Amino acid sequence: MAKSSRRDFFSTMVDGFHGAALASLLGSDLYAAPTFDLKPKSPQFKPRAKSVIHLFMNGGPSQVDLFDPKPMLTKMAGKTPSRELAFAISNGKEAGTLMPSPFEFKQHGQSGIQLSEAMPHLATCVDDIAVIRSMYGEHANHEPALFLMHTGRTIATRPSIGAWVSYGLGTENQNLPAYVVLDDPKGLPINGISNWQSAWLPPIYQGTRFRAEGPPVLNLQPRAEIPTPLVEAERSLLRKLDAAHRDARPYQPDLDARISSYELAARMQLAASDALDVNTETEATREAYGLNEPATASYGKRCLMARRLVERGVRFVQLYIETQIFDTHGDLKAGLNYACTKTDKPVAALLKDLKQRGLMDSTLVVWGGEFGRLPISQGGGKDPGRDHGPNGFSVWMAGGGVKGGCVHGATDEIGFKAEENKVSVHDFHATLLHLLGLNYRDLAYERAGLKERLTDQFPARVVSEILA
Amino acid sequence: MGKLDLRNPDAILKGGASGPVVMPGASTTSLLIDKVVTQQMPPGKTKLTAAEIDQIRVWIDKSLTPAAVEAAAVTENEVRAILQARCVVCHGSGERSGGLDLRTAASRLKGGKSGPALVPGKPEESLLYRKIVDGKMPPAAEAKLLAVELPTAGETEKIRAWIATGAPGPAAVPAGLAVTAKDREFWSFQPPSRPTVPTVKDNSKVRNPIDAFVLAKLEAKGLTYSPRANRLTLLRRVYLDLTGIPPTPAQIDDYLKDQSPDAYERTVEQLLASPHYGERWGQHWLDMAGYSDSEGFGQDDGVRRYAWRYRDYVIRALNADKPYDRFLQEQIAGDELSDDWKKAKSGATQELIDRMAATGFLRTVPDPTDSFERGLIAERMNIVAEEVEVLSSSVMGLTVGCARCHNHKYDPIPQRDYYRLSAILETAYDPYEWRSPNKRELDLALDAERKVVEEANKPLQAQIKKLEADLSKVIAPFREKTPGLKDEELEKKFPELELQAQSLHKQLDEVKEKVKPAPNVRVLTDNAEPSQFYLLRRGDPVGFGEPVDSGVPLLFQNAALKPYQPVAPFAGTSGRRLALAQWLTQPNHPLTARVAVNQLWMRHFGRGIVPTVANFGRSGMPPTHPELLDWLATEFVERGWSLKSMHRLMVTSEAYRQSSNVSEALTAADPDNALLARMSLRRMDAETLFDSMLTASGRLDPTLFGTPTEVDVRPDKEVTVNATAAGFRRSIYVLHRRQTPMSLLDAFDQPAMTPNCTERRRSNVATQALHMMNGSMAWDLAKFMAGRVIDEAEGDRAKQIELVYLRAYARRPSEDEVRTGLQAITDFRKQWPARLNTDNAEAPRTWQGEWLALANYCHAILNSAEFSFVD
Repeated sequence: MAKSSRRDFFSTMVDGFHGAALASLLGSDLYAAPTFDLKPKSPQFKPRAKSVIHLFMNGGPSQVDLFDPKPMLTKMAGKTPSRELAFAISNGKEAGTLMPSPFEFKQHGQSGIQLSEAMPHLATCVDDIAVIRSMYGEHANHEPALFLMHTGRTIATRPSIGAWVSYGLGTENQNLPAYVVLDDPKGLPINGISNWQSAWLPPIYQGTRFRAEGPPVLNLQPRAEIPTPLVEAERSLLRKLDAAHRDARPYQPDLDARISSYELAARMQLAASDALDVNTETEATREAYGLNEPATASYGKRCLMARRLVERGVRFVQLYIETQIFDTHGDLKAGLNYACTKTDKPVAALLKDLKQRGLMDSTLVVWGGEFGRLPISQGGGKDPGRDHGPNGFSVWMAGGGVKGGCVHGATDEIGFKAEENKVSVHDFHATLLHLLGLNYRDLAYERAGLKERLTDQFPARVVSEILA
Repeated sequence: MGKLDLRNPDAILKGGASGPVVMPGASTTSLLIDKVVTQQMPPGKTKLTAAEIDQIRVWIDKSLTPAAVEAAAVTENEVRAILQARCVVCHGSGERSGGLDLRTAASRLKGGKSGPALVPGKPEESLLYRKIVDGKMPPAAEAKLLAVELPTAGETEKIRAWIATGAPGPAAVPAGLAVTAKDREFWSFQPPSRPTVPTVKDNSKVRNPIDAFVLAKLEAKGLTYSPRANRLTLLRRVYLDLTGIPPTPAQIDDYLKDQSPDAYERTVEQLLASPHYGERWGQHWLDMAGYSDSEGFGQDDGVRRYAWRYRDYVIRALNADKPYDRFLQEQIAGDELSDDWKKAKSGATQELIDRMAATGFLRTVPDPTDSFERGLIAERMNIVAEEVEVLSSSVMGLTVGCARCHNHKYDPIPQRDYYRLSAILETAYDPYEWRSPNKRELDLALDAERKVVEEANKPLQAQIKKLEADLSKVIAPFREKTPGLKDEELEKKFPELELQAQSLHKQLDEVKEKVKPAPNVRVLTDNAEPSQFYLLRRGDPVGFGEPVDSGVPLLFQNAALKPYQPVAPFAGTSGRRLALAQWLTQPNHPLTARVAVNQLWMRHFGRGIVPTVANFGRSGMPPTHPELLDWLATEFVERGWSLKSMHRLMVTSEAYRQSSNVSEALTAADPDNALLARMSLRRMDAETLFDSMLTASGRLDPTLFGTPTEVDVRPDKEVTVNATAAGFRRSIYVLHRRQTPMSLLDAFDQPAMTPNCTERRRSNVATQALHMMNGSMAWDLAKFMAGRVIDEAEGDRAKQIELVYLRAYARRPSEDEVRTGLQAITDFRKQWPARLNTDNAEAPRTWQGEWLALANYCHAILNSAEFSFVD
């Protein structure tokens, strides 16, 4: 591009998508340093969803026991696995035989999607969800697989999807973070805070943890030991000091930014507390989310908070559940029952609640873990489990722009490997971005001469088959 | 074009210069799809539609089957690559399972205990092939423990075909494509030449040649320098810049009293001689290296127990003004400079420990391979790739990462060059015969360090002795009963004994856990017998392309430069890293000195002369002052690569002494201050802010070096640093764990090291305000500060305010500011008694109220913009 045409390009961009980032990419003649903020940005094309609720199901939910019925496993029960399948287990000495699911599958809804009996509540929502049965990953270990699902690569040093979306779209509510993480009070997921890192994207795009109990944000409330009138008096002195400092230094945008950050902090105290206050919800709503039952109270509360956050314009909300609740290496049936009992009812309530409030069209709900599980048993004994299986697993999406009541792709006859209409993690990410009005090729960040993307340099494809 | 012919299926399958463009049955890994999907191809405006791309996808996946691939002659290189990836972990230099070594042609023929591994021409009679097809090798049961994956059907077939054609021997490594002379013309690939210092109109503003270069540009635009900054503004600026902490009231007074013309220059000398200089600039270098005290992978995020030795090395080296060329040589190849480390045990010198710890420079990136499940070849190669990124971004100012998968789009760096550069590190990071982090330590310590540990262990050793004696006593009767059995066997045999021994074992384990070894040194050293390395197609760990030798990018092949020529300095090491270090530090290297002075410039002035500090290539931004950059680069080398002398030049220039105030006209003329008609106003970085709070409040523990201070993860998840007996140590000594960064530092953009950070961001966000206003650290330090101020000024409130200003802002308050302060403290003072009435403390409420009211004042000052911004 000639210099003049570069400038024209920017001048014609109305509310330009990353004018600044593009400027640094194209305009080596432009001195302007890119600026980054969280103001709402126009998507690249008309979005189907405005917000995302990502229900991350830690541990690797077993596809053949939840979403992907395999009658062939019953027929082949006890058979020795192929060499390839035997190689897929982490400890070769624990490789068992082909193991059918202990759960029964039934058809549900108008669509007749088959679902395992472990998820009776989701069964009432199948006509709203699109199940992808042909996902495949790259790694059979939690850490790299979690990095892959969150950042598009198995390494520890890339930005997470929530950070990319915040970078691309900003957020609607400036009093709340763009990207909120609701982790389980019982403990951080594998990879901890790296799951919501911005890595080399500017730090303002990293996820902010909201705690489910107590003040949602660290140091949100003034110190209890300082009397309230003093907090006010001190702030008023600070305003005076800063105003004088700024007045003596005109044309310094950093000083303005810093003063507004202190103002925002004060507003956030109110906004964040209000957003997470589930006590103002009706008893019926609280009951529906399972807030009155010990098994579902914790996850139900987070699901309800997620709805309140997207209602207030938060762009990306990510929920985690215990450390690896779906990691059923032993006692498959009990393990999955435990995980589903905790999550099934709240998740179904969230879908119904979003629908009822007219938020479903603007909210994309994504359910899935880091991989699936192998169709063979692991560990002998009475109650064996299943080991990690990244070669074929299921996830589902619902809401904004997703075709409800559909199934996409298939695994082989035993559920080991994705076979038909395979969906890579990059395809999955591209689809998610597409629903938000972003093209995975163009949502780019210039870094050290590389045009970085969520999908890195890998080919990807929007799974158009599940779009409404 | 690219030697690729797309006219018929056979030609398509053959591929082009970048290797095969389609993988039959696997569209997702096919280069052709990637090129059209990412719209790199076709060139021009017309791109393929999604439907057209899908059509190609379906054709690759369904119609183009592997059977259609023409059988080509398989070379030894291809087979060696497969054997390295799948077999040599057991049949290689380390372990020779079954007496078999599969690495060389001779050793394969020699075979192992079961005979030769292969019979040329007869794959079915060759053990190598038979074991694989029969499913015996690699063994499924142990595969994952050995980080080995199953050979693909294609790989097995290659081995068969190679044996069938007589198992031809290795061919020479092909020479790479040449880079054209035109490719090398770009300014940053040419050695810097010494420019003449320009003449300027206003010579009175020229203190040293830097000013001549900067002013010449300004004058050409009708601009000139801003007025000089106020004396104390400049003093605070240079203190924070060179040492990272503000001046004390006494230092301010000394400076004000000194009216000699070179008072500022002498202050600069003092600061450069201060040990705090090494801490401040050490942090900058640790950013570039990507330093962290943890492995950085997974939730466990294991602590790197001895990483601090590298941090200390950096601080010591900078304080000693170690020449930058030597500084780099030690960090890239400290182990290859001498083999003395192989012999040393006791009596190790600090010099030796430092030189070996220096190799920690290339040991910084997240390393998950302590776990076998996370130590597969792909992960090992990711580590190499990230170390290459650290090296190239920090030292070379070159972006090479993209060439991992394809030829560089902007710079003349073919993919082969990337793998040649990787191969320099791979003799130490051999992906085929890997060493996990715990195997990369040396038992080197000062005698004094050993002694400290021995003393600490003495009482523990005594306890162990006693517990073992107790255990022996308990076992004795059983020994007599059943002689000939070992103690553990006895315990298993007699449940009553097992029960008795249990608690003793537990105690023993606990005490043994407390016994500390002397500190080791984390190092990077070569494998004695490195593997053959390959170009990997599209970066795929098993997408073996041509074999490559080690080398530096061909674009630097230049008559003026000495070539990269590895020679083993002693047995057991390749000399590759040493050759790289020597090649990089030759005086006229096009990048090394330029990149280094540009980094210094950015940190002193706010932006680099080349604003993209890690990218001097074509896709980076061009220098704003190319002649100045070259003058600095050549001056740097001429001054013996002395970093301190470059700091001296920069901070004593008139450019540096300007005010940061800016007019509307100047903002319009130069919004980003690229031309330097003023200094840039900047927010402190995280570490400077924290260290300044400690200094202003009088809470700084100035202890240098050693193990990092632990952090505490509070129930509310805030991560704080623990206090020492003397206060808090500087942030560079806080345990930097990737999973638990100190919350306050994290909020102010301390980098997460992914994998390194060549330039800090300075955001202004609400969470920073929350930490400063409501966090415990700022409030506790404000109380401490108020206490010290009262101690010094006693009841004189105006004096108290003056001291607060001196400590926090390095200036005296105006009368107006004193009045505002007095009023505020009086207001605060009224609010406290009611609050204090509610607790039952013995302390007098009036006095306590006085103190806390002043604490509120200090708290507001520490929160103010003037404190955290530097004019």
